[in-house]
Amino acid sequence: MDAARYRVVHETHYTYAAPVLLSQQLAHLRPRTCPWQQCETHRLSFSPPTSEWRERVDYFGNAEVFVVIETPHDELIVRAESRVTVIRHAVDLARTGSPSWESVGTGLHAAADEAALDACRYLFESPHIKATPALAQLTQPAFRPGRPLLEATHALCRAIYRGFEFDPHATTVATPLEEVIARRRGVCQDFAHLAIACLRSLGLAARYVSGYILTVPPPGRPRLVGADASHAWLSVFVPGLGWVDFDPTNDLLPDLQHVTLAWGRDFSDISPLRGVILGGGEQEIDVRVTVEPIDGLPAKSPPSDTTRQPAGG
Amino acid sequence: MPRQLLAAYPQDTARYDEMLAAPFEAREHWRPLFEALAAAPPEQMRQRLTHVQQQIRENGVTYNVYADPRGADRPWELDLLPLIVSAEEWAQIEAAVSQRAALLDRILADIYGEQRLVREGLLPPPLVHGHAGFLRPAHGIAPPGGVHLHFYAADLARSPDGRWWVIADRTQAPSGAGYALENRLIVSRVFPELFRDLRVHHLADFFGTLRDSLAHWAPSGDEAPLIVLLTPGPYNETYFEHAYLARYLGFPLVEGPDLTVRNGRVWLKTVSGLKRVHAILRRLDDDYSDPLELRSDSALGVPGLTQAARLGNVLIANALGSGLLESDALLGYLPLLCERLTGKPLAMPSVATWWCGEPAALEDALEKLSNLVIKSAFPQQRFEAIFGSDLTPVRRKALIAEMRARPYNYVAQEWVQLSQAPVWDRSHPRRLNARVIGLRVFACASPDGYVVMPGGLTRVGSDADMRVLSMQRGGLSKDTWVLSSGPVSTFSLLRRAIGPQDLVRSGANLSSRVVENLFWFGRYAERCDNVARLLRVALSRLIDQSDAQGGPEWTAIWGLCGRVGLLPGEADDEPESAPGEADTEEALLDALFNDERPTTLASNLRQLSGVAFQLRERLSVDNWRTINRLTRNLARARANRVRIGTAFDLLDRTVLSLMTLAGFALDGMTRDQGWRLLSLGRRIERLQFLWLSLRHALQAPPESGLEWLLDLADSIVTYRSRYMARPERLPVFDLLLLDPGNPRSVIFQVAGIRDYIDRLSDQFGPLPEDPLRPMLPLLREMDLAVLLASPEGIEELGTLLDRIASATFGLSDQIALRFFSHVGASRRTLST
Repeated sequence: MDAARYRVVHETHYTYAAPVLLSQQLAHLRPRTCPWQQCETHRLSFSPPTSEWRERVDYFGNAEVFVVIETPHDELIVRAESRVTVIRHAVDLARTGSPSWESVGTGLHAAADEAALDACRYLFESPHIKATPALAQLTQPAFRPGRPLLEATHALCRAIYRGFEFDPHATTVATPLEEVIARRRGVCQDFAHLAIACLRSLGLAARYVSGYILTVPPPGRPRLVGADASHAWLSVFVPGLGWVDFDPTNDLLPDLQHVTLAWGRDFSDISPLRGVILGGGEQEIDVRVTVEPIDGLPAKSPPSDTTRQPAGG
Repeated sequence: MPRQLLAAYPQDTARYDEMLAAPFEAREHWRPLFEALAAAPPEQMRQRLTHVQQQIRENGVTYNVYADPRGADRPWELDLLPLIVSAEEWAQIEAAVSQRAALLDRILADIYGEQRLVREGLLPPPLVHGHAGFLRPAHGIAPPGGVHLHFYAADLARSPDGRWWVIADRTQAPSGAGYALENRLIVSRVFPELFRDLRVHHLADFFGTLRDSLAHWAPSGDEAPLIVLLTPGPYNETYFEHAYLARYLGFPLVEGPDLTVRNGRVWLKTVSGLKRVHAILRRLDDDYSDPLELRSDSALGVPGLTQAARLGNVLIANALGSGLLESDALLGYLPLLCERLTGKPLAMPSVATWWCGEPAALEDALEKLSNLVIKSAFPQQRFEAIFGSDLTPVRRKALIAEMRARPYNYVAQEWVQLSQAPVWDRSHPRRLNARVIGLRVFACASPDGYVVMPGGLTRVGSDADMRVLSMQRGGLSKDTWVLSSGPVSTFSLLRRAIGPQDLVRSGANLSSRVVENLFWFGRYAERCDNVARLLRVALSRLIDQSDAQGGPEWTAIWGLCGRVGLLPGEADDEPESAPGEADTEEALLDALFNDERPTTLASNLRQLSGVAFQLRERLSVDNWRTINRLTRNLARARANRVRIGTAFDLLDRTVLSLMTLAGFALDGMTRDQGWRLLSLGRRIERLQFLWLSLRHALQAPPESGLEWLLDLADSIVTYRSRYMARPERLPVFDLLLLDPGNPRSVIFQVAGIRDYIDRLSDQFGPLPEDPLRPMLPLLREMDLAVLLASPEGIEELGTLLDRIASATFGLSDQIALRFFSHVGASRRTLST
């Protein structure tokens, strides 16, 4: 099968200890439409209802929705439901050649064409991605002199996959990269940031991708609603080839199992929901994501040596 | 004579000298000043110097230094002598700065719009994408009138050949114009004749243009535009200037939480509700301006501000993201950009600068490293400039390796040998020293193009490093006199023609935060007065040995001291018994000076000055001076470890200053709602103190002395003029409780509070419940003679006093709920 269709429901539930008098929210919750993905329908709803609603396309080409809620509330539910078709697009690493990583790095600053100009947006430090000498322990083994960029990036992602523990309790949104490196654990967001930081430290362009991944339920068990996770991975720019996605959390190249939501320099550009409230007191958040294949399961995904179930988060 | 002035003045340097054309020969435009200095008797110069220092101290001109462990304000340092710029020379500077501002504005418009300059290779992409000041959410915003850069400053330096160079551009929220104004105010008064005779350009026109231009472009439709000055708050290092400029321009000074965005528009939270804001003169950094779309950890910004700007509903000066041009890396590209965008060559060169992201520039820079300064290309890197010649071989090697690894993070710059100008030697009666100087020049956008302020902030280098000028490091400044070849415009912002339609009477734009501070200003001013008087009464009894300690009068005073928290231990606790004399003295001195306990006079004064600090733009300079003097006197006395006699004098002066402050409020402030809230604060505080004092007096045996109570309530003179007898209970209580004409009686406070509440309710609607109102008839009908005649009556009186007190506390809460509730700050939600 060369395409997959999904119904994705992403529900975010805030509860507050005290009434919220005014809430302003910025959402990046509409899956992108791009050459390998079509967002067919999308519905975004807020409860309590919004008093103001504005849509635009942000600097990175993502759909962004700005809303205001003026009804006092102690509970906010944001629900995004989308139908998406994804077609097969992962490159075949074994058969795809790429230039040496050094040659790519030196060429990017010249920004010769539109594609390279676009790549320049993702070359430098960003709020969550700072250069640190600790990155060298990851880049040096993977980026050997003269190695083709795709092969080296793949090696880097595999090193992260093998060397780091997936641990949803180890980090928060604010955990700096140094700490992730020192503790050797984190979640998909940390692994994506880490790989991007490594690539950028070498002068390569890499962007952060947010989205969803279809998880496979254990044999004989039904798919649990809300058990699928929102996910993050990265994309590296390869001249001539364009952007190539890597998923270091699962050591695979995103393909039919991945639904792309948005991309930016890092998480801070495209967090699915970001808000400011007046009032509220203590707050709790609960996020549930359901990725449901519409026409049955897609074909088995490529990597053969996956020891873990594909994991989101 | 001149030779004596120049005895210590270096004349044979490689620098350009602003004043001297040749040894002992002043340039023509400096001659009048030079001659005036030579002719002035030493005594006059000393007076002038004192005048400058006093003005700075008393006007509270400060520059906060983050590094200062106590966070204290450092007084602004101003030299007596101005820098003088001739008319011809100024014409060149003016044209060059105006051209540069226009150029930078067009570059901003391109980067936040089509980005053709990058596409056409005129601007390397890293200068945009590698700069943390490039705000992606601001891309695509079209500002009102297409103007991004409303207010711009250029830092200029003069090389030995006499040419001026631009060494830095300030495009985000340039500071210094307010200090320049303050410098002008002080120095022009030191040399009034000279200032007039030299025909020095006035500065007011420029600020008038700034104000009119913002009003012109503000998207206000047919309404009169409301323009505010947005400050990060009192902890910012240039807060003095924000307050000063706001007052000078007539803009409300607001902090982020004073503003809110609703319906895509910006509003000021005022006591009369939300008021639409049309333009914001911004002193808050770009990325802190909006926690929703920009830095989410900013507590200083206005959530939704970017959205309001995007919709074109508010003018932000400077536009969000304008800090992008504050990068030395850009300097090298300006000549070509200028040719391309304006068709004319750049009129004033920038200091020679190479961005090392260009491979050829990197190699060049490394080769000439010893003659260059290495700086960060982007402000987010925040490392100090490195002088190649200062490097040890080890550090040099490390720097080269780092530059090769990340060349785009570095620029290499030649350094301009700064010019020198005379400064007055403070330690010597008639002697000039030379110091290096740089000139910060300001420009503002107007519908007729960029207008340059005819003057500027002259910054003087420190002795330590003659190569660096920085206010953060601590440095002296000068007034800048630009001479005019024609008649001088004497327009003043203070005397602008205002038509009947412009008249404002109500102060409707008072923000909720300001009103809250005014209320607390009233309360703390009164509280300080109460505490100072109580301490004075206690100390006077201690000095006057005739009044035996341990007597009933002393017990009442001592008990009251404990009750208001002046003695160690829990406030509200009555002290067990009076201590010995030595301990008493220590305890009272502690109550005066100890600022680690919250209820002492020292702490209350600090609170007062803290609230006053928040209100600086609303209080007259005289208020501010008085408060400065109060805290300074106390600090000085504490440092000198004064004993009881001197402490008594100090309290006398403190009470006097506090009365002066009360007088300003009574005689100098407009009767607007802000004034009413300040007065409410005073009345409520006074009422609470009166309650406590009367309560303690009631507890003492009927025959004990009441002189102390009259003393506390400042009513001795009235009493004596009426009764000419020693104080007795009935007349004293009548005077302090029921006399409607005594400004320190209970009934006077209650009646005054009722009137203020009525006036506030006229404008804002009634308070839900005014608990104090029912007390007024009770007081009027009270038969004091009967009550005081029996123990039961005295108890009844005490209960009534308690009811008044608890109603007062309730009222204070009501006021807070009704008028200050907007004050809450926004917070971010958890991200997903």
